[in-house]
Amino acid sequence: MSGFYSHRKLAENVYIEIAGVEHEDFAVGQVFEHRPGRTFTAEDSRLHALRGADLSPRAVDAVYNEKVYGGEQVVSETLVLGVVTALTTKTFNKVVANLGWGQVRFPTPVRVGDTIYAESEIVGKRESASRPTQGILHIRTRAVNQRGEEVCSFERRLLVYKRGLGPYEAAGY
Amino acid sequence: MAEFAFVSHVPIAENRYRERYGLDFEDFAVGQIFKHRPGLTISQQDNVEAALDTLNQAMLHFDAHYAAQTEWKRPLVVSTLTLHRLIGLTWKTFNKRLRILGWADISMTHPVFGGDTLYAESEIKATYDDGDPRCGRLTVITRGINQDGIVVCSMEYDILVYKRAAVPFAQANY
Repeated sequence: MSGFYSHRKLAENVYIEIAGVEHEDFAVGQVFEHRPGRTFTAEDSRLHALRGADLSPRAVDAVYNEKVYGGEQVVSETLVLGVVTALTTKTFNKVVANLGWGQVRFPTPVRVGDTIYAESEIVGKRESASRPTQGILHIRTRAVNQRGEEVCSFERRLLVYKRGLGPYEAAGY
Repeated sequence: MAEFAFVSHVPIAENRYRERYGLDFEDFAVGQIFKHRPGLTISQQDNVEAALDTLNQAMLHFDAHYAAQTEWKRPLVVSTLTLHRLIGLTWKTFNKRLRILGWADISMTHPVFGGDTLYAESEIKATYDDGDPRCGRLTVITRGINQDGIVVCSMEYDILVYKRAAVPFAQANY
């Protein structure tokens, strides 16, 4: 069983960090545990609402949140989805673009103070018919909180560069 | 003569009105289309911040030199940032949403770059009353449309929305 490498040797004693796993090295059935996890704070939620131009009082008025929702501080689903997706980006770094998500679920709400960890399984992999230098990965990602409860799961399809065919050398990667 | 629909300001006393946006579950019907305003211009700074805030390591979003070597030629906006802004822009219609249950589908149909302006538009695909006295459920399709009229994102999701009598707005000073 061999892992994947973080660095490529450029010369004696000189190493450059590698961005992500190559498309050719993914195989259906592999599971990748993403680290670090991420803790959600009240400030995360507040800023997320403000930046989304979302004036729903729940996110910006603590008195309203107390009276109507009993003060429960639930993290917005769009932030959870954004964070869980982002946590996968070290492994799935050779991305051209996301094509889309499916079956996005939130079995347990994420609350302020919770820490989540994500993992992804490769469920499909194929060549792109219209883009010969690229492939399509089909992955299933799930995230759990610090108690092991599943807080988010989804399927996602992304377009990735094939080995040696990305912009890496030209960009100094 | 303009025709109006849905109350935004509730009369509280003589000559006094209080803003109370958001439709009740009972107001929604299959086939309705809502054009949300205002739109929102997304900047490359927004893009960098969203990537850094969420621990997103895909340099396509924040390394402009790298992005210049790709077919996009400039940083591509984080997909979940686009999705977040679109959902946020719907708040005046969906302010009485309790939560998003999940997305059946999210399709990114056109690239979004810093400088693009997004407008959201929603269509009610289905309404369900599961007998919960507080909330009903809606299936909504929301599309993001850029300044050129191109659909950049289309998503289908289910939400719970409060029924008319279920939220103690007045007691919460709303």
